[in-house]
Amino acid sequence: MTMLPGRCALTVFRKEIVDALRERRTLAVVLVSSVLLGPLVLLALSALVASLEEHAEKREVYVAGLEHASGLRNYFERQTYTVKAAPADFEVLLRTSKFADPVVVVPKDYESAQQHGDAPVIEVVSDSANRQAESGAARIQRLLQGYGRERALLGLAVRGVSSELVEPMRVEERDLASAQTRATQFTGMLPFFVLMAVLYGALNAALDTTAGERERGSLEPLLMNPSGRASLVLGKWGAVACLSMLIAVLSCFSFLPGQWLLRSDTLQAMFQFGLHEALLFLVVLLPLAAALSAVLMAVAIRCRSFKEAQANSTVVVLGISLLPLVTLFNQSGEAPWHLWVPALAQNTLMTRVLKGEELSALQMLVPLLVCVLLSAAGVALVARGLRAAAVK
Amino acid sequence: MIAIEHVARQFVVPRSRPTLFASKRSSERVVRAVQDVSFEAPDAHITGLLGPNGAGKTTTLRMLAALISPDAGRLAVDGIDVVSRPREALARMGVLSDARGLYPRLSARENIVYYGALQGMPRDAAHARAEHLAQMLDMEPLLERRTEGFSQGERMKTALARALVHDPANIVLDEPTNGLDVIATRALRDTLRWLRTPAGGGKCIVFSTHIMQEVERLCDSVVVVSHGRTVAQGTVSDLLEQTGEQDLEEAFVKLAFTERHALADAGGTKGEAA
Repeated sequence: MTMLPGRCALTVFRKEIVDALRERRTLAVVLVSSVLLGPLVLLALSALVASLEEHAEKREVYVAGLEHASGLRNYFERQTYTVKAAPADFEVLLRTSKFADPVVVVPKDYESAQQHGDAPVIEVVSDSANRQAESGAARIQRLLQGYGRERALLGLAVRGVSSELVEPMRVEERDLASAQTRATQFTGMLPFFVLMAVLYGALNAALDTTAGERERGSLEPLLMNPSGRASLVLGKWGAVACLSMLIAVLSCFSFLPGQWLLRSDTLQAMFQFGLHEALLFLVVLLPLAAALSAVLMAVAIRCRSFKEAQANSTVVVLGISLLPLVTLFNQSGEAPWHLWVPALAQNTLMTRVLKGEELSALQMLVPLLVCVLLSAAGVALVARGLRAAAVK
Repeated sequence: MIAIEHVARQFVVPRSRPTLFASKRSSERVVRAVQDVSFEAPDAHITGLLGPNGAGKTTTLRMLAALISPDAGRLAVDGIDVVSRPREALARMGVLSDARGLYPRLSARENIVYYGALQGMPRDAAHARAEHLAQMLDMEPLLERRTEGFSQGERMKTALARALVHDPANIVLDEPTNGLDVIATRALRDTLRWLRTPAGGGKCIVFSTHIMQEVERLCDSVVVVSHGRTVAQGTVSDLLEQTGEQDLEEAFVKLAFTERHALADAGGTKGEAA
């Protein structure tokens, strides 16, 4: 009884899928770490942005020694700020991050110094290690500068000088970034999480079907069946790639409900990750899942034990996690060769999707071609090494 | 029927510890695992492959299972050449190899049916066969259990059932009693005897061992392999007669190790050949 190669591959595929899905504990760890991690980071990020926004919206200013500067109080109130007295031990509180606002300190002799024409010193007290206070410090600085400018203009107006002489030009900022581009400041790490999910989805199954099979002593009897090596390897690779793809799908779609939990309205408006983006992510990721599976299997078939294979596959894991960093070190922006490097190409494309940019056919085809070549090479290497692996 | 004619196989292995002064040529060592093994195992007959450790039994059986290709000689299963038509030959053989790893997360039944499917059996037939084999090997309670945590005997039974799932005409077993207790060994012997009978299918059974008792109790004929060569073959009484001994163990030592001394004497010429 000999059988068609396709049916043999399907038999192997089905068995490997069942086998992998029964390894509940590993599967659970992969699911938790790779599928939940992304949305969790997104949530943490949204909580941070929301608290920053909340602070900005509150329009509060804490002042110590307010009674010495009535003009300042008047100015703050005209800018619709609520003026509050700072707690007595604000320095300690700021240093220990228990107080989240910078404090304006007005000296006792403020008004008399001003009347004498001296420039009194107003301190803005903050702690650069206290993130929240630090983020408010710039705002308070601007507020105080506004007050100073108003005072100066009034003084000049009294003396009959036109305000245009003091301010010969006006500066206005215009931000070219779209809302989505701005959001990539926050969401730039998402592609990395998705890449890791795909990698860890493939890792265990790839090692188990090759080095694991050798370690158990089940590879030799397996090869004593009248099935071609190519169909055995194709079945195994198909199963590993499918698991990796499954994790990729779960991980991409996990951002959809994660998005509903976003607390910050601004972030929600900026982070547009809908069905369209999820599908584009998958188009980019699925070929990579197939290629990574083949490469990991090719590395692992040369190893006698699961442990040895884990050690050797570290090179692949490290490569996948470090390659996307090229964009970080390379300030000159995207280069055409980026699309030829696995992981880096996918990272680049996913970042573009998040920025809301269109992907051209060529941009998609180059990484796809690389993945197809890698898969073919990996599968061929495994098929070639299979018999030698069984008897050693 | 299995026929093996003058097979030979050598391996080139790197020296485990190359010394500082070793020349490049000697940094590789040639191991001649099998030099000249020949025997014929007819149907309805149990043929024992008897030899000391390292005699080349496992290498010979691996060549028979098309895992290693021979450097010289011919191997045939029911007239099918193993080297040129390995898949057809494998379909006519059930091999219980030295390595008998099972899939721990699959049940015994799933392990057996998987091999049935790989042999091209329809699923129903493979399941029916698994049940039949479980009955024959007295392992019915094991069938639905995952093989993780199986004892040696339970593992062997499952592996044997897996090898026999496609009801092959030729059965090859490599040291099947390794690690089995008395009860399991006896059960295996009974099974093999039954498989030899016309009711059991009149199988051609080849099994390798280094245990005299097994050969005496089970084998219709014995092939003594030593140092990669067939040194004697025949029934147990033939071998006793040939050596003039009363006891198979004495006969075996005489056959296997006097031959080795003879080879050691010829060591000079062998070295040059390598």
